[in-house]
Amino acid sequence: MMMHGHGGFRGACLGVAALLASAVLPAQAHGPTRQKVTETIEIKAPADKVWAKIGSFQDMSWHPAVAKTEGTGGNTDGATRTLTLGGGGVIKEKLLKYDAAGKSFKYEITEVDVKVLPINNYSSTLSVEGDGTKATVTWRGAFYRGFMNNDPPADLNDEAAVAAVKGVYTAGLQALKKALEAGG
Amino acid sequence: MRAAHRLARAGGVIAAALMLSAGSVAAAEAWITSQLADRVSLVDLDGMNVLASVGVEGRPAGVALSPDRTRVYATAPEAKAVFVIDAGSRAVAKKIALGSGPLGIAVHPHDGRILVADWYEHALFVIDPRSHEVLARVTVGQSPSGVAVTPDGRLILTADRDSHQISLIDATTLTVIGTIPVGERPFGISIDDSGSRAYTANVHSNDVSVVDLAAGRTIATVPVGRRPYAVAIANGRAFVTDQYAGTVSVIDLATLAVMRTIAVGAYPEGIATGQGGRFVYVACWEDNTLERIDTESLIVTAKTLLPEGPRAFGLFVTD
Repeated sequence: MMMHGHGGFRGACLGVAALLASAVLPAQAHGPTRQKVTETIEIKAPADKVWAKIGSFQDMSWHPAVAKTEGTGGNTDGATRTLTLGGGGVIKEKLLKYDAAGKSFKYEITEVDVKVLPINNYSSTLSVEGDGTKATVTWRGAFYRGFMNNDPPADLNDEAAVAAVKGVYTAGLQALKKALEAGG
Repeated sequence: MRAAHRLARAGGVIAAALMLSAGSVAAAEAWITSQLADRVSLVDLDGMNVLASVGVEGRPAGVALSPDRTRVYATAPEAKAVFVIDAGSRAVAKKIALGSGPLGIAVHPHDGRILVADWYEHALFVIDPRSHEVLARVTVGQSPSGVAVTPDGRLILTADRDSHQISLIDATTLTVIGTIPVGERPFGISIDDSGSRAYTANVHSNDVSVVDLAAGRTIATVPVGRRPYAVAIANGRAFVTDQYAGTVSVIDLATLAVMRTIAVGAYPEGIATGQGGRFVYVACWEDNTLERIDTESLIVTAKTLLPEGPRAFGLFVTD
């Protein structure tokens, strides 16, 4: 879910580092420190309406970076989706826990190139709280940096991973707020 | 003579009283590493509140206590060091530079040697608790994570995550005397009070391996929640933190089957037994909580907030 305008991650140096990383390291390594990002936004719209907009695992069109969502399994735990980004990258994701009553779902990324999003072992929860007039959307994620060995290059370190995920969350939540408060 | 005797007796009474009070304080405390906050916090387990928080650089993760509970050891993988915290003054007393990625840590129950698994060097470092010098470097399997010692002090175990095995190390000769295959990517490892069985939480196969140490083999594999991290043994049960599921799976050790799944905070990680097995305590990384589970009723009976990213990988409870 790399944003347009975050293209700095696509430098040639990074490409080499990413190749190196994926070639040498086991995908499941847990050596580095797991990072977390939480972003929230208040929206002047009924919580049910907000949930109706973002509550389908098979439709992420509310996020400006996502051009296409394709998947199977609906909102059943274990469902999968493939996000094609406007910038051309692809992210494969799996639904871990869907809670319609609690207006929340948890999912993980099963496949993404670190050139698209410089992270590993990413899982995330998207949830809506609120009443008939206003809602708070919380998007939180847990993940490791792109470079899973010691002493990462700057573009694949903890800070780069956090900045990228923050960028994704902020862009998505702001677009959501704008669309819903405009009546969408 | 008689006066001296009386004085000595009085002194004995005072000493006993001091020991009692020290004992009762030590009986219910925990030291929790908060990895993202770079802090190690002291929690009073009776009141379930944070008493103190010590700054420790380098993303502290693993934690262990000296046998007399006067020292707290925290691994800091990104500082490539082990920090020694003085439990009395609640301050860092020493930084021991070590290896490339020190993570799992345990303390020998009799002589206090500090045992540190290094993720990147595939080795266990053995450190003298007084001089803080490295006494030995024992090569084990790939990416050792959890470390445990049998209660009799004879055997050290490492969970070799990327070799899908545990290594058995003679605690006297400091040589590897065997390896035992377990599930996929074992992370935490715990040993029961009798020293007969070890339990590994296997991150990738989502199960717990039950290892008979005398027989030298895995005797059972128990499916648990997603991404199990560590195991605590109490009250005839094994309590397993399921990171992705946000639960603690409770295994009945008589039947070796899951008897209950308890909802806890998001990303439960470090788990340890306290108060003689009456409670287990769980550090929940994403929710920043320490949660107390009653090992009889299997209910979360208390929780407290901690600094960002508590992991507490190790035996973090004083008693």
